[in-house]
Amino acid sequence: MSAWDIIKTIIFGGSTLVFFFILWFYNPFKHVEHYEVDEEVKGIIANPWKKTESGKTIAEEGRELFIASCSSCHSLRYDGIYLMSVQSNPKWKNIEKSAGRPIYRHGVLYKDRFFVPKDVYEAFAYEDLQNLKAALGQVPPDLSATYLARGDGYLYQFILNPQKVLPGTSMPQIFNPQYDEQAKEKVAKIVAYMKSVNVPPPKEQVKRNVMGVLVIAYFIVMGLLLWKYRTNLLKRLGYY
Amino acid sequence: MGLIEKVIDWIDERAHVKDIYRTQMVEYKVPKNLTFPYVFGVLALVTFAIQIISGMVLILYYKPSIADAFDSATYTIMGEIPFGWLFRHIHAAGANFFMAIVYLHMFTGIYYNAYKRPRELVWIVGWLIYFVLILTALSGYLLPWGQLSYWGFIVTTEIPGSLADAPILRDIFKAIAETIVLWMKGGYIVTDVTLGRVFGSHVLIYPLILLALVGIHLYLVRAAGISNPEGIEYDKKKNPDKFVPFHPYVTLKEGAYVMWYLAVFFFFVFFHMGHFLPADNFEPANPLKTPPHIAPEWYLLGFYEVFRSIPSKFWGFVAFNALLIFLLILPLLDWSPLKSARRRPLFFVAFVVFMISSMVLTILGTMEPTPMNAKLGLIFSFLVFGFFLSLPIISFIEYGWYKAKGGKQQ
Ligand code: HEC
Ligand code: HEM
Repeated sequence: MSAWDIIKTIIFGGSTLVFFFILWFYNPFKHVEHYEVDEEVKGIIANPWKKTESGKTIAEEGRELFIASCSSCHSLRYDGIYLMSVQSNPKWKNIEKSAGRPIYRHGVLYKDRFFVPKDVYEAFAYEDLQNLKAALGQVPPDLSATYLARGDGYLYQFILNPQKVLPGTSMPQIFNPQYDEQAKEKVAKIVAYMKSVNVPPPKEQVKRNVMGVLVIAYFIVMGLLLWKYRTNLLKRLGYY
Repeated sequence: MGLIEKVIDWIDERAHVKDIYRTQMVEYKVPKNLTFPYVFGVLALVTFAIQIISGMVLILYYKPSIADAFDSATYTIMGEIPFGWLFRHIHAAGANFFMAIVYLHMFTGIYYNAYKRPRELVWIVGWLIYFVLILTALSGYLLPWGQLSYWGFIVTTEIPGSLADAPILRDIFKAIAETIVLWMKGGYIVTDVTLGRVFGSHVLIYPLILLALVGIHLYLVRAAGISNPEGIEYDKKKNPDKFVPFHPYVTLKEGAYVMWYLAVFFFFVFFHMGHFLPADNFEPANPLKTPPHIAPEWYLLGFYEVFRSIPSKFWGFVAFNALLIFLLILPLLDWSPLKSARRRPLFFVAFVVFMISSMVLTILGTMEPTPMNAKLGLIFSFLVFGFFLSLPIISFIEYGWYKAKGGKQQ
């Protein structure tokens, strides 16, 4: 390679790499809001599958908190949680059985929770949802995939103090640190629960990572072997 | 004789595969000095295969209705179906890689002037592939039915509506604009009908067209022969030392490149999906809630930036369509008898300006639309237009040199 070839490689290769780095890794020119989880409760969200003193996992405790404090307004259909007023309707059990199917996620079956298609649910819950809309100005969103859309920091800050993050929102502050010593912990548990619905559990994640490393290693090694084979072959054929 | 040979002989007796192998692989000769960027055509082919295979898995579980689309992608495919996540990751990353590879492939073709005689048809069919590929990507992006899908689709389909701002013949342009928008949207509002149309186009119509076009493209590459990076058309018979057999010389080299390409690809699939399955798209589509920043996907941001930097919507629309047309008629604009940036210093400079400007326009497209951004966008749009419009002038100058040297390529 001549010096000019090296310069050209740097111009074209370098600019292409920088370009895709900006697009696909980190774009310093793009403005994004950052929300942080408070230091003292970071551990709770980090591993929702950890067992607490009560013998339940953090996610299970978060689920109970969610049903008690949030399900009057929000459903979380991917984990079989529907509006409280719907769930207390005896007919709903039949709908769950006939139109729904048990929740199955990352290889775990939850026999007592049901996934019901959105249109079926919204038709059944029409009045309940309209009542909420009349009271709150809008139907509170289903929170099934909100964790993926918003991330820990936003959810934690928003649930802890909705007005600070979304001024004028009709979502009430449920856990107020001024009156409830455990407010931050409870919010963190709810976020951990929402995470557990959307993120594969650690065992599954480890499997995926191992699989990824093996696949990547396989292709690198195959490439090297092909290259070596080619060099030898071309030498024998007299092309070098 | 081993079992494999026996099977091959059995097939060969009936299908004459050995003849095809000999004439199409070993006796088929390609230039000896092909450079690294010539691999992008093969990588595009590999990515096309990846998209078809992963798409075939996704279509088993995806439901094209506005009630079920989001859940079928986010709940069923990502959680219920074993390895559903893997195929969704592959398909989403593959779409982005496909666009990236095709852009690199096109820039390679421009750099080595592979669109010139006798390869004009290769280029034109390639351009058609690019056009259908954009449609495929746009239609696929609507399917997960997230906020970005929905609003990205709305914004993109409403861009042709800018024609209604025409300075003259308003009524005619308005009628044309409304017709195009109606066609692209599949109705006045986006409903199940639109989603069904877009779904059918994405999974059947566009892939079939692409398949046919790619077949024609490959045939034409064979028919015209691969270009030479030096820009000289050597005769395979007169200069056999300038050529090597396609197999094993090129196949094994590009085979190794394909393996390393797949290694990079799977790094993204397993460990870095945030940019290909963006967080904002995990919020279900909500026609009543317009998100603050809507923009097309990155592979259209260059065109989008040209469109939005120009103060008049009509002229913005004309400008970015002109760019597409310029790409198509590149063989006409650049009529110089000389080939390859290696032996064309003026063209080399123009190409570098063009490449950098395209990248800068794309990055500007990711940023918020401030007045400063619009000013920069305008400058770099001029540079991109400058590239295309300078080609006839460069060709004219080069034609003078060419004549002065007695009409020889060297
Ligand atoms: C009185 C009804 C009510 C209760 C109870 C309630 N919310 Fe909400 N929530 C709302 C409404 C209304 C919105 C829509 C806010 C908006 O978009 O302005 C909302 C929005 C949200 C959002 C979405 C914010 C966004 O940026 O999209 C999250 C997350 C959320 N609530 C979590 C919770 C959690 C967790 C609880 C239980 C601790 C809870 N909510 C309890 C009414 C409620
Ligand atoms: C599905 C997408 C595509 C596939 C699978 C594909 C495949 C290929 C292959 C395998 C080659 C030969 C190897 C090479 O030179 O890299 C080739 C050559 C070529 N392609 Fe494509 N291509 C695609 C899209 C395009 C597009 C979008 C364009 C331009 C608009 C284009 C223009 C060309 C040209 C000009 C050549 C000739 C290169 C030469 O002879 O040096 N292709 N293509």
